[in-house]
Amino acid sequence: MSTKRRRAAKLPKLKRRVFLPAAVGLAAAGISTLALLPQAGAAQSNNPSNLGNFGYTGSYIYGGTQNKAGGAISYKKLNPASIPYGKTLFLENCSTCHGALAQGTPRAPNLQGLGAATIDFWVSTGRMPLADPTVQAVQKPPRFSRSQTLAIDAYVSSLAPGGPAIPNVNLSLANLAQGESLFSTNCAACHTITGAGDALASGVFAPTLMVATATQAAEAVRTGPGNMPRFGPNTLTDQQVADIVKYVKYLQAPNDRGGIAIGHVGPVSEGFVGIIIGLGTIMLAGLWIGGRAK
Amino acid sequence: MITQTVDWFDERLGLAKFTRKSLNKIFPDHWSFMLGEIAMYSFIVLLFTGVFLTLFFVPSSKEIIYHGAYKPLDGHKVSEAYASTLNLSFSVRAGLVMRQMHHWAANIFIAAIVVHVCRIFFTGAFRKPREINWVIGTLLLILAIVNGFLGYSLPDDLISGTGIRIAFSILLSVPVVGSYLAFFLFGGNFPGNSIIPRFYALHILIIPALIAGLLGAHLAIMWHQKHTQFKGKGKSERNVVGVAMWPAYALQAGGFFFLTAAVIAILGGLVQINPIWLYGQYIPYKVSYAVQPDWYMGWLDGALRLMPSWEITGFGHMIPTIFFPAILLPGLTFTALALWPFIEKKITKDTAEHNLLDNPRDVPWRTSVGVGVLAFYVVLFFASSTDVLANSFQLSLNFVLWGFRILLFVVPPIAAYVAYRVASETGSTAGTGRRKRANVIFRTAEGAYYTEQTAPRSPQHPEESAEELPEEVEYHSLHGNGDQELVTSAAQPGPSGPAGSPSHSGVDLGPRPSGGSGIFRIPRVRRSSTPEAGGDQIGGIGDRG
Amino acid sequence: MTKVEGGGDFTPPEVEIVEGKRGVELFVALAFVVSVLASIALAVTFVLGGQPQIEGALLFVILLGIGVGMVAWGKYLVPQGPYSQEREVLKSEIAERQAFLASLDRGQRQIGRRPFLMKMMGAAIGVFGLVNLFPFLRSLGPQPKKALYTTPWKKGALLVDANGSAVTVNTLEVGGMVTVFPSYDVGGAISQTVLLRAANTAITTRPGRETWGPQGYLAYSKLCTHAGCPVGLYQELTQQLLCPCHQSLFDVLTGANPVFGPAPRPLPQLPLYVDSSGYIRAQAGYDQPVGPGFWERGA
Repeated sequence: MSTKRRRAAKLPKLKRRVFLPAAVGLAAAGISTLALLPQAGAAQSNNPSNLGNFGYTGSYIYGGTQNKAGGAISYKKLNPASIPYGKTLFLENCSTCHGALAQGTPRAPNLQGLGAATIDFWVSTGRMPLADPTVQAVQKPPRFSRSQTLAIDAYVSSLAPGGPAIPNVNLSLANLAQGESLFSTNCAACHTITGAGDALASGVFAPTLMVATATQAAEAVRTGPGNMPRFGPNTLTDQQVADIVKYVKYLQAPNDRGGIAIGHVGPVSEGFVGIIIGLGTIMLAGLWIGGRAK
Repeated sequence: MITQTVDWFDERLGLAKFTRKSLNKIFPDHWSFMLGEIAMYSFIVLLFTGVFLTLFFVPSSKEIIYHGAYKPLDGHKVSEAYASTLNLSFSVRAGLVMRQMHHWAANIFIAAIVVHVCRIFFTGAFRKPREINWVIGTLLLILAIVNGFLGYSLPDDLISGTGIRIAFSILLSVPVVGSYLAFFLFGGNFPGNSIIPRFYALHILIIPALIAGLLGAHLAIMWHQKHTQFKGKGKSERNVVGVAMWPAYALQAGGFFFLTAAVIAILGGLVQINPIWLYGQYIPYKVSYAVQPDWYMGWLDGALRLMPSWEITGFGHMIPTIFFPAILLPGLTFTALALWPFIEKKITKDTAEHNLLDNPRDVPWRTSVGVGVLAFYVVLFFASSTDVLANSFQLSLNFVLWGFRILLFVVPPIAAYVAYRVASETGSTAGTGRRKRANVIFRTAEGAYYTEQTAPRSPQHPEESAEELPEEVEYHSLHGNGDQELVTSAAQPGPSGPAGSPSHSGVDLGPRPSGGSGIFRIPRVRRSSTPEAGGDQIGGIGDRG
Repeated sequence: MTKVEGGGDFTPPEVEIVEGKRGVELFVALAFVVSVLASIALAVTFVLGGQPQIEGALLFVILLGIGVGMVAWGKYLVPQGPYSQEREVLKSEIAERQAFLASLDRGQRQIGRRPFLMKMMGAAIGVFGLVNLFPFLRSLGPQPKKALYTTPWKKGALLVDANGSAVTVNTLEVGGMVTVFPSYDVGGAISQTVLLRAANTAITTRPGRETWGPQGYLAYSKLCTHAGCPVGLYQELTQQLLCPCHQSLFDVLTGANPVFGPAPRPLPQLPLYVDSSGYIRAQAGYDQPVGPGFWERGA
C-alpha cells in the first residue's frame, strides 16, 4: 500500500521534470527546421529559372565599344529583325511607365542610351515589369522568354546609342583566385563575402547572388542597377569582370567541406544551431540522466 | 591487490578518510543540476581539440603566398596564421572536424554557462553560503567570453579581422588610458604584427589556465559545501538526498561527458561552422557585410548598434560613443552580476544559510527581476542581427533598428511584470501545499470523548527535522561484522525511536526490501507520522526494519 | 579476506546488487560493441585519407556508444537510492575560531614588533614589482604620441587603387566607387579612402570645400567614425555610404554627415584635385583625425 501511495505522490513531479526539457526539445526541433530552411531554399534556387543566353545563335548588330575578340567577355550583337517584335512587347508592357520611346515619364526613368545590358538585366531577372515603383524591385520569374527579352533589348537600344552591350562570359578563360580577390574587395561589402546578400539602409537591400546567371552578374557589375555602384571598364577590365563572375558562380555551390552550410550567414545561424540544437540535445541527455530510474 | 594499493597510498597521504567521503558523496538528481556539468565537459572537449589544433596552427602574421589544397585562394598573399588554418582544415586528417568541434564546443560551453547561471539565479542557489562560488562563476563566464573572442580571432580571416578592428576601437575609447591600452596590446597602431601571437598566448595559455584554476576552485568549493537541492520529500536544509557518487553517479557523469562530446562531434562533423576559406584573408580595407561576432558577443554588438551617436567632448578630451555600450555596459553588467548575492542580501536582510532551493514561482520579485534583466540582454542579442532580420523579413533596416531601440526599453518591464504575475499566481500562497491536520477523537477511560489536532508539521516542509539523522560513523576497526562498521549510520541505533513511534520524523533504518542487507547504503530519511496517522506513510519508502 | 597492514582484516561485506535486467545488460553491451566497431571504421577512414563528415559521424557513434553504455549501466544496473547524507556544519566551533584568531594574532604581534623591517620588506617587493612593469610599458608597443592624429596622406599624394594603379579622372563612371590609397602606402589600414563619383560636375559638400570634389569625385576616409570598420557600402541612388558593422549611414553629398545609426561624426573628407595629366591627387592630408574617437581627441 505504501508503494502505491509513493508512486502517486511522484507523478506530478515527474511531469514537471519532463515538461520544461520537452518544451526545449520541441523548440529545438522547430528552430532547427527553420535554420535549415534557407539552405533548402538556396539549393532549390540553384537551378536558375532562365538559362542565360548561351543558346542564342542569332545574328548581331550592336557591338559594344569594348568588344575584343578572344577575351573572357564577348558582347552580344542583337538581331535587328527582332526590333519590331521588341517594340510591340515594349509598348504592351513597358511604355505605360517609361513612355513609348522609352524617354521616361514622371513615374519611371529614361531608358534611352542606357545600353542593352541594362535593359537585359532588369527584364531577364524579372525585376521589370514592376508592379509598385516605390519599392525596390526584387528578382522574380521573368515575364518574358529569352528571345522576347532580347527583342526588347534590341528595340530599346535601337532608340539611342550608348551604354554597355550584353556581355557573354567565357568562364573557362576566367581566373577563380583572381575573382576571389576582386570579389572581396568590390562586392563583399554589400553582398556579403559568401554572396548571401543582406539588407542595406533605407529599405533597400543587396540581393543574394545565389540565382544570378553569369550574364546577369556581369551586367550588374557593368551597369550598376539600382543602388549598386557602376564598375566601368576603367575600374574593372573585362577580364576582371569575368574573374568576378566566375567566383560568383563558384559561390553558388562552394566547397562546403565542413558540412551543412546553414545559409552561409555566419555566426547568427551558427549561434542558433549551437544553442538550440547543440545545448538542447545535450540537455535532453541530461534529462535522461537526471531523471530517476524506475 | 587493491587493498595493498589503498594501504600504500593511505600510509603516505591518509587518503582513505577523505576519499571514502567522496565515494559516498551524494548528488541530488535533477536534470537542471547537469547544466554546469555540460559546461565543464565542453571545456574538456575544448582542451582536447584545442591541443590538437596547436599542433598545426602557426600564430604568425607573417605574409606568405598560399599554394595549398584550396584552389580559389591559390597564389594569394595570406598570413601564416590563415594559411595554417586552411591547411589544418583541408590537409590534416580530422583537422577540420577538430576545428569545428572546437568552435561548436566553445558556443555550447558558454551557452551552458549562461543557462547554468540562470538556473542558479532563479532558484536562489547563490545565497549563503555559496556567494563565493557565485563570484567565481561570474569570473568564469567573463573569461569564457573573452577566450571565445580571442579564439575565433586567431585564424585571421576577414570576418574575425573586422572584429579585431572593432576591439581596437573599443580599447581606444577607454577614457584617459585608452590609446595606450590599444597601442600596447596591439604593439602599435592598428593592425600591427603582434596581435595574432599575443592573442594566441592569451588564448591557449593564460586564460585557459585561469579558467582551469577557477574551475578547480569552483568544483572544490561545491564539493566541500555540498549541492543544493530542491525541496521535496525527505529533503531538508541539513541533508542531501540523491544518488551516491560511487558507482552510480560516477558512471552516469562519465557517460554524460561522452554524450556531450558526441553531440559536439556530430555538429563538428556535419554542420559547417566558420568556413574561413570562404571568408578569405583579413585585409584592413576589405569588409564583408553581415559581420556578426559569435553569439555570446551578440549582446555587445547589439548594444553598439542601438547606441545613439552621443559623443561627449569637453576640456580638450573626448569620451567616444562606443565607450558606453562596449566598456560601460559590460562593466556594469558583470559587476552587478557578481554582486547580486550581496545586493539581494541587502534587500531581503536574509542572513540564514540556504541549502534548499527556491522554486522560482515562490519568489516572484527575484524571478521578475531576473526575467526583466534577461529580456534586456535578449533584446540586445537579437539587435546584433538587425541586418539579417531586416533581410529575412524584407523590412527596412532603419525600421528594424528603431524597433529594437524601443523594444529595449519596452520589453524588459513587460517581461518582468508578466513574470511577476505568473509567479505570484502560480506560486504557493501561505498554507498551500501543506497537509491538513487531522482532528483525532479520543475516548478516555471514563468514556468521555475529546478531540485533539494532530501535531503540526514544520511550517515549510515536514521533512525538515532531519537533524535526528545520526552522525556518520567514525569506525575504528574493520573486525567483526561489517554491517555495523561500514554502514555510515544506518546500522547505528539512531536517537530516534523505532519507526512508528511518536517522533515527528525518523530514519528508515531498515534495509531496502529489494536489497537484502544493504551494507554500503547510506540511510534515507523517512517521514513518519504521529501514531494516530500511522497508516499514512506517504513518505515511507522501505519497510520497518 | 585480505590482510590490512597494521590493523586487522578487511572482509568485503555483502553488497546490494541490482538483479535481473538482462535486457539492459544486453543494451549496454551492444552500445559498447557499436562504439568499438565505429572506432575501427574511423581508423579505416583515416587510413583512406579521411573525410570530415564521415569522421564526425563516426566520432559521434563512438562517443555516443560509450556514453549511452555508461549512463545506462549507472542508471539501471546499480542501486540508485535515494540516499540521504547529512550536511556538516560549515562554520567552525567557537573555540576553533578563537584558537585560529589566537594563532594569527601571535604571528602578527611577533612580526609587528619590528615595523621598520616590515616597511623595508614592503619596499623591496614593491620596487621590484614596479621595475617589472617597465618591459610591459616600454616594449609592448610604442606610445601613441601623434599616430592617431595623422595619416600617410599629404599634399600632392597620387591616388592609386588596391593594385597600385593610378586613378585618373576617367577611372570611375558616375555612380562608381573604388578604394584608394596614396601611391606610397598601398593597402594601408589607416590611409584607406573611399573614392566615388557622384556626378559629372564638381561637388561642394559643405562651405569651404568648394574645390574638394572635382568633376564629381569625392574622397572620404574609409574608417568609420564609430568603431573603425571600413565603410564599404555605397548606395548609389540614395547617395549614402553604409558601414557594414553597425549600420551607420553617411550622406555623401553633404560631406558624409552621419544621418542614421551610431556614428557620431562625419567621415573626414580628403580634398582632391586633378593634375595636368588627368591624375587625381590630394590637395592636402585629412584635416582631422580619421576613424573612431579617443580620449586625447578634443572634438
